[in-house]
Amino acid sequence: MRIYITIIFLLLINFADAQKIFPIDGVEETFKPVFALTNATIFTSYNKVIKNGVLLIKDNIIIGVDSNLNIPKGAIVYDLKGDYIYPGFIDLFSDYGIDKSKINHNNNTNKDAYHWNQAIHPEFSTAKIFVSDSENAKKYLNNGFTSVLTHYQDGIFRGTGSLVNLTNKQGDENIILNQGATFYSFSKGTSKQRYPTSRMGSIALIRQTLLDSEWYSNNNRKANISFDSFNKTNLLPKIFDIKTVLNYSRLYKISDEFEIDFIAKGSGDEFVIIDEIIKTKFPLIVPINFPKTYDVTNPDDAQEISLSNLKKWETAPYNLKILNDNNIEFCITSSDLLDKKDFITNLRLAIKKGLPQDIALKSLTSTPAQLLGVENMLGSLEQNKLANFIICSSNIFEDGIIYETWSSGERHIVKEKIKKDIRGYYSLNSDEYKNYLVEISGSKTKPKVKINQIDSSSFITKIDKNKIIISHTNKFRSSSKIYEKNIIGKYQDENGDFHNFVMSFDSNFVTKKENFIQNLDTIVPSIWSPNKSYGLVEKPSEEKIIFRNATIWTNSNLGVIKNSDVAIYKGKILAVGKSLSVGDIFKSDTLNIKIIDASNKHIASGIIDEHSHIAISAGVNESSQAVTAEVSIADVINPFDHNIYRQLAGGVTSSQLLHGSANPIGGQSALIKLRWGATAEEMKIKDSDGFIKFALGENVKQSNWKGTRFPQTRMGVEQVFYDAFYRAKNYQKNWDNYNKLSSRKKRATSPPREDLELNILSEILNNKRFITCHSYVESEINMLMHVADSMGFKVNTFTHILEGYKVADKLYEHGAGGSTFSDWWAYKFEVNDAIPYNASLLNNAKVITAINSDDAEMGRRLNQEAAKAVKYGGSSEEDAWKMVTLNPAKLLHLDNRMGSIETGKDADIVVWSDNPLSIYAKAEKTFIDGRCYFDIDSKNEIENRDKLERNRIIRKLSKSKDKNKIKVKRKEKEKHYHCDTLDHE
Amino acid sequence: MGQNNSLFIGGIAHLGNGKKISNSVISIVDGKFDIVADLSKIRIDPEAFDTIYKIYGKHVYPSFIVPNTTLGITEIGQVKATHDFDETGKVNPNIRSIIAYNPQSKIVETVITNGVLLAQVTPNGGLISGQSSVMYLNGWNWEDAVCREDDGIHLHWPSSYYNTGWWAEQGETKKNKKYKKTIKEIHQIFEKSLAYSKGNNIMDLKMESMKGLYNGAKTLYVHANYASDISDAIDVCQLYKIKNVVLVGAEDALKVSDKIKENNISIILNRIHRLPKNEDENIYAPFLQAKQLEELGILYCLSYEGDMEAMGARNLPFTAGTTVAYGLDYESAVQSISLNAAKILGVDNKIGSIEKNKEATFFISEGDALDIRSNNVTQIFIKGKSISTDNHQKRLFEKYRKDK
Repeated sequence: MRIYITIIFLLLINFADAQKIFPIDGVEETFKPVFALTNATIFTSYNKVIKNGVLLIKDNIIIGVDSNLNIPKGAIVYDLKGDYIYPGFIDLFSDYGIDKSKINHNNNTNKDAYHWNQAIHPEFSTAKIFVSDSENAKKYLNNGFTSVLTHYQDGIFRGTGSLVNLTNKQGDENIILNQGATFYSFSKGTSKQRYPTSRMGSIALIRQTLLDSEWYSNNNRKANISFDSFNKTNLLPKIFDIKTVLNYSRLYKISDEFEIDFIAKGSGDEFVIIDEIIKTKFPLIVPINFPKTYDVTNPDDAQEISLSNLKKWETAPYNLKILNDNNIEFCITSSDLLDKKDFITNLRLAIKKGLPQDIALKSLTSTPAQLLGVENMLGSLEQNKLANFIICSSNIFEDGIIYETWSSGERHIVKEKIKKDIRGYYSLNSDEYKNYLVEISGSKTKPKVKINQIDSSSFITKIDKNKIIISHTNKFRSSSKIYEKNIIGKYQDENGDFHNFVMSFDSNFVTKKENFIQNLDTIVPSIWSPNKSYGLVEKPSEEKIIFRNATIWTNSNLGVIKNSDVAIYKGKILAVGKSLSVGDIFKSDTLNIKIIDASNKHIASGIIDEHSHIAISAGVNESSQAVTAEVSIADVINPFDHNIYRQLAGGVTSSQLLHGSANPIGGQSALIKLRWGATAEEMKIKDSDGFIKFALGENVKQSNWKGTRFPQTRMGVEQVFYDAFYRAKNYQKNWDNYNKLSSRKKRATSPPREDLELNILSEILNNKRFITCHSYVESEINMLMHVADSMGFKVNTFTHILEGYKVADKLYEHGAGGSTFSDWWAYKFEVNDAIPYNASLLNNAKVITAINSDDAEMGRRLNQEAAKAVKYGGSSEEDAWKMVTLNPAKLLHLDNRMGSIETGKDADIVVWSDNPLSIYAKAEKTFIDGRCYFDIDSKNEIENRDKLERNRIIRKLSKSKDKNKIKVKRKEKEKHYHCDTLDHE
Repeated sequence: MGQNNSLFIGGIAHLGNGKKISNSVISIVDGKFDIVADLSKIRIDPEAFDTIYKIYGKHVYPSFIVPNTTLGITEIGQVKATHDFDETGKVNPNIRSIIAYNPQSKIVETVITNGVLLAQVTPNGGLISGQSSVMYLNGWNWEDAVCREDDGIHLHWPSSYYNTGWWAEQGETKKNKKYKKTIKEIHQIFEKSLAYSKGNNIMDLKMESMKGLYNGAKTLYVHANYASDISDAIDVCQLYKIKNVVLVGAEDALKVSDKIKENNISIILNRIHRLPKNEDENIYAPFLQAKQLEELGILYCLSYEGDMEAMGARNLPFTAGTTVAYGLDYESAVQSISLNAAKILGVDNKIGSIEKNKEATFFISEGDALDIRSNNVTQIFIKGKSISTDNHQKRLFEKYRKDK
């Protein structure tokens, strides 16, 4: 698949022959000695070890590695007996050596030759602003990294990154690959332009840019520097900064659509949706910035830590194990760590939690080398490869101390090697003291000394090579040298007099060596979907049920029928009627049929919310432009939103997730079923028609906040629509003309440029996409119907439509439906004539009328809101109930499978404790596709489980010895989208 | 417009004090309730009354009361010119809502028609937002609409925790580092005003307005939600010997119920129709709170604080209905928006329940007024006087219904 690997070889510079280009001030040092590192345990690669091996290095190259090597004459020999050598680690996600003062992004004045959007700069080359930076290099070298792939982490198309070594040398000498990979993200970064304001806007911008660059290259255009650069670097590996775990499926869709292989820089909590990660097949670059330990000493504070954060804290260290268990290829990065010093600690924690050591090594060496196609240079220790390696006191993944890292043959000392372990018992002799017992304990590098007869406390020593400073109260302040069997030196007493002393070795100190393997803790905590309160342990199963003796709100011509049964089977409604016979309806498949006595209960089809903004991530409005038909809420569904569960408990089964109302032509909708615990894709209603949000009035003309973009009046709004649809018609004509060409002529003609925005508008003109239009006053409602009639399309639904009652006859004539609030008004000037009688008046005028929420809170009480059509305006109860079930199903073109209790329809049903319009009714069971997603009887059980889980983790936290605990951090008190909500990243 | 003596017979009377008379007789004499009895147990001389209303099968309720609301001092959410509830400055105890109250507000007339006949009109914003007054939702001007003038001062206790991050990519809640500083400020305010209240000083408007806290003339309404905040607030009120303290919001009240009870503090609850305060909280928590406080014997009433609180105030009866769905006894739910509210606002001597000698401020509904479907207010009486049930929205309804 990865064709770029072969290409990389062509890009290779002849690194073995690096020559100084800069003039030398003085005399050139030409002598390159051979270094021979002997007697070490050498991991030549992640799966190959040589005991007592020799590693030979000349200049920046390995000239030999084996167990039996002749050491060339004149070689400088280091005896590394007992030490371990590993290939140097490679970090693929870094911003090392970026000189920001050198950044000169184009200004995208639309008079230059770059992409119009400032966040799209594929022409940007990190190599151009790279400088060696020995201070920051140390932070990597100290963790065992000897080369990094660095890039300037800004924008959506970020340009190229460079693979560099970490020596002190000139920048160009450090660069291994000038262009190692191209980088991408969903964040517009420092761009000062408005577009995009939302995640879905970023996604649309990426898709349009990919289409444009293809079109650009097919047309042999060269003038635009951005597209030209993108096409030139197209074969490099593409690394995408995922940032949050839900972005995986978003990227996967792009990858699928454009057949691009991405490498994903992960978020560290991949475990929460591991099945989706597997599906993407992306190789990953995974951070190990595990959440800090929370301070739970104050119970009030502890209560403010969300269970999802607690669970994340507990499970994050298992992330790499889980990835490995699922055969996902990954590299490990030190990026995202607030303190790079935590890297080795966290890496070892991951190993304790079950990441195999060889995989850890692989993911730090050969995998990154392979992903960049540089395995001939890096990733293992073999002849002719770069001298990039680590010297360690013992196993680096257990308790080894990194002594040195060598990058490109340049030696960096991390920690002076303490040759000798001086710990043990000694006898101290001087003219003052005779055979005093000395105990040297502590660690090998930081021994502590106690001389009981002088003072009972332990004192820390300073040890440097073979010198040791022992200060033991004022009676004994010494500097001395370490010899094979004793420590000899002078000490000063409290009078300031010096004495010679000898400490002679008696016996070894018996230390309890921590057995790393015994401390493994590889049992992964349970992971729920989603991994938070009320999350599911397993997907609800498809049930076979007969509900007996219920009052059934059929929404069919049967009306409300009492003492009746309904059966569900294979996700569908199997039968409705009185005294259903099991044998008749289930035929032979009668195993495991549940019979539920629903006497005194009401059963109705699930509520459908025609206008909802729950379960959306990173922006409900792409508010930057007047027309943003190219963006889609379906790209940014957030299946983790707990409002899904809350609304299930309110009897809601399906929702239209709408774009906001900041612009006349907003984005496309997502139609979902509230399948709690499922993925974003699984929540979508398959084979449904496409919808799009339009909007009118104060929001689009920016009346209630500062805004200057066109339009600022209702007059301008009309013109936006005419302009958009004339453009769409022209666009369609161009395509029609092109498509009519013979295939021979097609080859000779360049196709029109594909435009995502106009594609969608053309769908509207072709009756393939349907409008839900936010609207309030009669003038604008009338206007849009005129625009639609004259341009040849229909407005499917006017939503809010609070003055709809004034133009009900016109709506009916046009064929538009109305989806309204039950009683909201007075929140802005344009809703002054909004009346709660609206729904009934519309319904009376035969307009298909729905009542919607547009609000996460109201969304869980839509049954009550429907009752307001009975109170105000006197609709019948059945009519009112249809306003939140069958009618929204009609408006969403789903009434052939939802919205009523009829044989063959989806088993999306709710068992209510009472008449569902009653204020006293509670949804007791909510089924979607015959699966029970909410059951009032198991609610307590789940809550108890959550409480136990919380307490269990808090107990664990309070036992934790971590000294740097952090104070309360709860996910913020929720913010909820309404269509007026504007967002800015 | 002289007062009538009138008689209501056959109604299902919810007295507001927890009692119900299924077949009632109620008389009004000089604007006050006189007879309140079971029709089958009393003999009435119909001749003694000017008007007799036969209301068999209809429901009678005392006025519902919405506390802690900007109703009447705001009109249109997005039009600043109509906002008279948030004065600039942090400490405004001298600010009085009463003089900005507009009984002719288009919103007010849509609230009264659902049975909410009184409101505690309350300024909002800052640390001390000002003084509320209890107002009838009817009148020619604020002066004749007043039920209790300047009933109390509203202190918005700082929150121990605050929210960070931006809303889509959810941030974290952190501890409020300014909390201690703000508490010090509060101490200073009370220290000073307590001292002022004891002597004769040159007029200081702010200090003067707070005098009533120390002699019981005014209630201190403390708006606080987190358990630790509630607890701190109670301590401060005790320290300065503030006579009447009412908690407003009090989402965490159950966690500090002992202390609330010990100090005899009552509560104006946050809106029942709200979301749980975070993803971990019981999804029913807001619905269950009334029942739980009832069981603990803490005096509470319901409010409709929050988004669109003015226009939404007409839904107050339905929030009480929801508490019934979640376990509260029906008559207690009625009480939670009538007598309980009257007690907490210090007006129960004249309104809040249908009892002899109380003001005849009540309404008649065709059906159960706590259930949306059947809440149909056909007659409203304030101090015995019949009030129009018409409103702006009904007029539009009638107009467009007829024209079609």
